[in-house]
Amino acid sequence: MARAWLHWFAVPAGLGLIACGAAPEEARFPNRPIEIVSWATPGGPSDLLARALAEAAPDYFEGQRVSVMTRQGGAGAVGMQYLRGRAGDPHVLGVFTASGTVNMATGRIPFAPTDFTPILRIQVDPFLVAVREDSPFQTLGDLFAVARERPGEVSMSGFGAASAHFLGFQRLRAAAGDPDVRWIAYEGSGDAVVAALGGHTDAVHTNYNIVREHLRAGTMRVLAVALPLTALRDTPVYVGEGYDLAPVHWRGVVGPPGLAPEVRADLRERLLATIRAAGFQEYMARAAMEYAVMDDSDAFGDWIAEEVETSRALLGRLGLLVNE
Amino acid sequence: MTAFAEGLATALQPANLTALLGGSLLGVFAGAVPGLSSTVGLALVLPVTFALEPTPALLMMISIYMAAEYGGSITAIAIGVPGSSPALATTFDGYAMTRRGEAGRAFGISLFASMSGGILGTLLLVVALGPLSRAAIAFGPPEYFGLGVFGLAIVANLVGKDPLKGIISALIGLVAFLVGLDVLTGAPRLTFGSTTLMDGLGLVPMLIGFFAIAEALDALTGRRPRVDGTMGMRAALPRFKELFRLWRPILRGSAIGGVIGAIPGAGATIASIVAWNEERRLSRTPERFGTGEPAGIAAPEAANNACVGAAMIPLLALGIPGSASAAVLLGGLTVQGVAPGPLLMTEQASLVYALYAGFIVAVVFMLAVGRLGIPLWVRVVSLRPQILMPLVVAISLIGAFVLRGNLADAWFALFFGLVGFLMLRRGYPLAPAVLGLILGPMVETNYRRALALSSGSHTVFLESPISLVLIGLAVISFAAPALRGRLRLGNPDADR
Repeated sequence: MARAWLHWFAVPAGLGLIACGAAPEEARFPNRPIEIVSWATPGGPSDLLARALAEAAPDYFEGQRVSVMTRQGGAGAVGMQYLRGRAGDPHVLGVFTASGTVNMATGRIPFAPTDFTPILRIQVDPFLVAVREDSPFQTLGDLFAVARERPGEVSMSGFGAASAHFLGFQRLRAAAGDPDVRWIAYEGSGDAVVAALGGHTDAVHTNYNIVREHLRAGTMRVLAVALPLTALRDTPVYVGEGYDLAPVHWRGVVGPPGLAPEVRADLRERLLATIRAAGFQEYMARAAMEYAVMDDSDAFGDWIAEEVETSRALLGRLGLLVNE
Repeated sequence: MTAFAEGLATALQPANLTALLGGSLLGVFAGAVPGLSSTVGLALVLPVTFALEPTPALLMMISIYMAAEYGGSITAIAIGVPGSSPALATTFDGYAMTRRGEAGRAFGISLFASMSGGILGTLLLVVALGPLSRAAIAFGPPEYFGLGVFGLAIVANLVGKDPLKGIISALIGLVAFLVGLDVLTGAPRLTFGSTTLMDGLGLVPMLIGFFAIAEALDALTGRRPRVDGTMGMRAALPRFKELFRLWRPILRGSAIGGVIGAIPGAGATIASIVAWNEERRLSRTPERFGTGEPAGIAAPEAANNACVGAAMIPLLALGIPGSASAAVLLGGLTVQGVAPGPLLMTEQASLVYALYAGFIVAVVFMLAVGRLGIPLWVRVVSLRPQILMPLVVAISLIGAFVLRGNLADAWFALFFGLVGFLMLRRGYPLAPAVLGLILGPMVETNYRRALALSSGSHTVFLESPISLVLIGLAVISFAAPALRGRLRLGNPDADR
């Protein structure tokens, strides 16, 4: 009660500061609407994650409006540029994914992990190899054995060239002793699945949510998945098949550079509450995603840096670095 | 049939009707504003659908999709700027008719054809979901290559008086598509180290640049004759008899839209250009195409609306989005917990029937919004170019920016505007360049993909019957105008 009347001074004082042209260093966050920058394809998994966050977040951001701001272009560079330009402002966030680290690693985009403040990782989306139901391949071993026998005759469709999906498969191929499997790049994951369904390619390297309905209908089979998924309980996992690695796609949230540790911790708490909200959980289930939360922001930062390094090493080995 | 009646009853519930009406209004708007498209319209309502039940959410999205395909023709006919890319072919005859002073007639034909195409596309979806989805997955790299080559051959009919200039224009489009990351290797091409150029120059900036900015410059520098006719003549709608006499182009256009629309990645823009070209090819008076021929409006408009129903075929049966708009729709469905795929029809039949019925209701709303809007569109036609064109340019540039939230797209549009203006002034047709930009990627990527899968053997293009037929048609289509010209040489009267 005693302190309530102080607010009467705060208003003119604040106005005075604005009038002087100095932005008031508000102690309270958030004090205006939150923007989540999305540089992904509208309707795709990363864009949906941004929208699901925006939908659930207001309850944990003092009722502030949370909106998704689309900034596409330049393989994500347009959105990243925008986010990096808002240094120190916790009201702007971005959904960051494996694709971002791969684009950093290739040298396509002039950004480094240190250009952003890591906050938390939310999803891990393991890669898998699927075939049409009538395929002669029963295991990953079958596929690689044929590839070794008849080099270049086994084809694998997947999203993009020098993409996260491509590198995920190259990692698996390296673990199998580099059999010659031909990667056929497609503009989208759906197109890559159609190629395998139509028998144009022998198999597809993708994620669970893209083939879920075809698995349920029995029109496709999964040979192996990188990490065990509840939905794929009886499916072989890479490590069980003798390939000791788990390439995954992943998605998390980063902020602009220069967020103070206490601001970052505050953001992390609010986002953790957001992703535990019932509405968000419902989205996760419907989008066939499983939680793989990494809520130690520093560990998430290390993860991002490590992903860039691993990708860069692999790209170098394959001769695919853009700016050397 | 009872299932369909139940679906109709669902679609007619007040909440669902409201969703359909709102979607239709927004769809016509998104379609008509250059830069905005059905994809942008759908992305805009995506957050709104989160709060809705699955059925109204789905119905709102499909009505946007349907109405936007019609909306694109409004701008195409009124000012010669395709409101969205599937309306490109409509500018050829639609705008020509407007300049002749018969805007109302063109609007009427476009609306009637869009409605018919929308209904026929939906019927196709209902009866041929299974077979067409199987046909769609049979379409592999050699077949896409054939389709792309077939489409490119249409350039031969778009070149105008000077074939060389038409071919140069097509080459400009083919060079423009090369800019960006190579889909198959990820290597940057013609980007000159610029991150901005990495995702390419884009179709929408080219359409805005060529048709809004270049045409505006051309009009404002005073060479453009004013639109003919009195207000009364401009507003006059076509008679029903004339509309019904267009049943052949409408049927053919719908069939072409229905088939091409069902092939993932081919889409409404290609379908409508092919429909226009087929109509011209089959016509006894092909020289009238491009000068305001009713069939040249009816066929592409029927085709692009038939594509909406057809685009649902790979989406519903396979869970695969066949177009950018279908990808946003799939995102919306995912959030609603509706998973399209082989089991959808058995597990969520009532939703699917509500969708079928919703399409029909969406077409009716589209017809109502379109019919009530025609007097308004006619007024736009009557504005003086000095007032209208700067407005068009401003709105288009905003549209170009909104598309991806990327300012570079507005700069690309300005760049294409200057290029297009110079081309117009020197007598180069613009449409071949657009065709080059649209079909170049399909031809190149699938050519290389097919060779990668065949270990470098070219016979793969001849082994596939579909590819063989399409390439054969392309050769005929490309050679026909040249042969006709050769025959005419002996008869100067034939050339007028």
